[in-house]
Amino acid sequence: MLTIDNLKELGADVATGITRCVNDEGFYLKMVNMSLQDANFDKLKAAIEGGDLDAAFESAHALKGILGNVSLTNLYEPIAEMTEELRARKEIDYSGYIETIFSELEKLRSF
Amino acid sequence: MLQSHVKFHSIAGKRLVLIVDDEQINRDILQHIVEEDFDFVTASDGEEAVEKIKEYGGLLSLVLLDLRMPKMDGFDVIQWMKSSDEYAEIPVIVLTSDESAEVDSLKFGASDFIVKPFSVPEVILTRMQKTIELYEDRSIIQSTEREDLTGLFNKEYFYRYAEQYDTFHSDLIMDAVFIDINHFHLINELYGRKAGDEVLIHLSDYLKDLREKTRCIAGRVEADKFFVYIEHGKVAYTTMVEEINSHFDNFRDIHVRVRCGIYQNVEKDLDIETRFDRAIQAANTIKNNYSKSIARYDNSTYQKKLYEERIINEMDDAMASHQFYLNFQPKYNVHDEVPVLASAEVLVRWDHPELGRISPGQFIPIFEHNGLIQKLDIYIWERALECAGRWKKEHGIEIPLSVNVSRMDLYNSSLLDFIIEKLIDYDISKSNLYLEITESAYMDDSDQLIEIINNLRAEGFKIEMDDFGTGYSSLNMLADVPVDVLKMDMRFVQNLKSSAKQETMIRLIMDIAKYLGMNVVAEGVEDKAQVDFLRSVGCDVIQGYYFSKPLPEEEFVQLILDERA
Repeated sequence: MLTIDNLKELGADVATGITRCVNDEGFYLKMVNMSLQDANFDKLKAAIEGGDLDAAFESAHALKGILGNVSLTNLYEPIAEMTEELRARKEIDYSGYIETIFSELEKLRSF
Repeated sequence: MLQSHVKFHSIAGKRLVLIVDDEQINRDILQHIVEEDFDFVTASDGEEAVEKIKEYGGLLSLVLLDLRMPKMDGFDVIQWMKSSDEYAEIPVIVLTSDESAEVDSLKFGASDFIVKPFSVPEVILTRMQKTIELYEDRSIIQSTEREDLTGLFNKEYFYRYAEQYDTFHSDLIMDAVFIDINHFHLINELYGRKAGDEVLIHLSDYLKDLREKTRCIAGRVEADKFFVYIEHGKVAYTTMVEEINSHFDNFRDIHVRVRCGIYQNVEKDLDIETRFDRAIQAANTIKNNYSKSIARYDNSTYQKKLYEERIINEMDDAMASHQFYLNFQPKYNVHDEVPVLASAEVLVRWDHPELGRISPGQFIPIFEHNGLIQKLDIYIWERALECAGRWKKEHGIEIPLSVNVSRMDLYNSSLLDFIIEKLIDYDISKSNLYLEITESAYMDDSDQLIEIINNLRAEGFKIEMDDFGTGYSSLNMLADVPVDVLKMDMRFVQNLKSSAKQETMIRLIMDIAKYLGMNVVAEGVEDKAQVDFLRSVGCDVIQGYYFSKPLPEEEFVQLILDERA
């Protein structure tokens, strides 16, 4: 089970996340776990691989909102950056982002 | 989570907010933030948001709206709301992570925005509160929704929620119920204000339970007065009152009983205030009837009230158009073998052009109740003196007249001046005007009242105590009050079953009067036996149908002329 300490080790801004959840640690952890299962991760990956920047932007944007709210900083930062690139529909290589995001995601999911 | 759209009378009674976001995590976090302060419903896309807005409509205090959503985005939802008559006023706060969208959303008509990631809950709640306050009617904000003591709705909100209830349950049959506590002011006085408050809270607790059980709306509208708006058939009112009474058993040894007025199956085209006015009217019919604790509104109560209103409204016109006129009931002195016409009591009559003859027994209490009696009394005094002046001038007749003086008149400082002025105008001597003051006026038993009456006597007026024996005067009081004549109503002795008791009673009164130096006039005398008896016990002046009914002016003048011929 993912714990607050695990999250801290992985660079999450736990304090802010818990405050946002009205100081309810259990609820916060539940939200974090839900966010890690979000379908948009896979959708984002598939859209990038298929070159569909519109769909990629939708998923990235959604993830940005969610991950910001649960304060998973290490995931949020690359997603936020990627969202801005996608908003402009920049045709750049996004695989670096995907790699970073999924490697962080794996770490978090491993608990 | 809210189960149905009857939210507004949930126990918490919070304002209702619609949360719209396609991401469940965002919705969940927002719910978690707002649930303490707000009730909420949620939607996961624009189309569902529109559905929910249509469903809850005016009950929504605020919409928290994500912009980027599938099916129908936030901008479209705002546009749809702003273009509708019904929902344009509901404030919207936009949820966004894009700075560029903030300005756009405000342009579209959003009131504010909350950025993602969400800031600390306090900030969000404060912004929500500010936005709601800004949009709600100022007057409503100024009064708080619930009153502090009991936590029930105050009057204004009670009405508002009751109306909203109707909006969503137009098919239900509803009852308006008014509850108040008998002699609440006495509870306050005897046990203290704090105990009074506890009684109110205790009753409120019962009503909150009732609200839980029946989904009714309950409010405390003032002091000890409560309103309940409840679906017909949800509760049996006799049971309810019994339950309330037993709810108070063993409550701090204070005896608490309630009175309940019910307007059943309300007419929904009447406004909500009128419906509860009817419940109050029903309760008022049993105000001094301690054997009854429940009264149902019926149309006759309403008609009676309407009739009273009409009488009150038409009094001025009636005076101006001389619908009021005087009758004179002769009083005879029976000291000698042949009765002699001694004086008369002035009585008022009202011939209404549409309602016909209205009995003084009907209109006097109404005028006494609202203070108009002073106006009528002054009118009667002046008419009476005008008559006396005319008789003196035309026929050389001088005869004492008794006029009624209401308790309220006595406290009017210009009373004496007015009467004296009119006596001079019509050339009548003070000794020919008797002032009849009803027994119940003396119940005040105040030094002020005694002083006022003493002043009148010092001026030379004779004071008669009217209706003696019908009220609850004590012998003790009789010794203190300044009175020249006791008017003893025979109807009160007629209630004594045996004539022996009647006789004893009358003898007693005669003895007391003699002892206190008062004369006695017997009223309501109807037969010769009564006259003989009264004469035998020393009651010399008699008024009643045995001698004459009240007469119109011409007949009365003729009677005097015949007597004296």
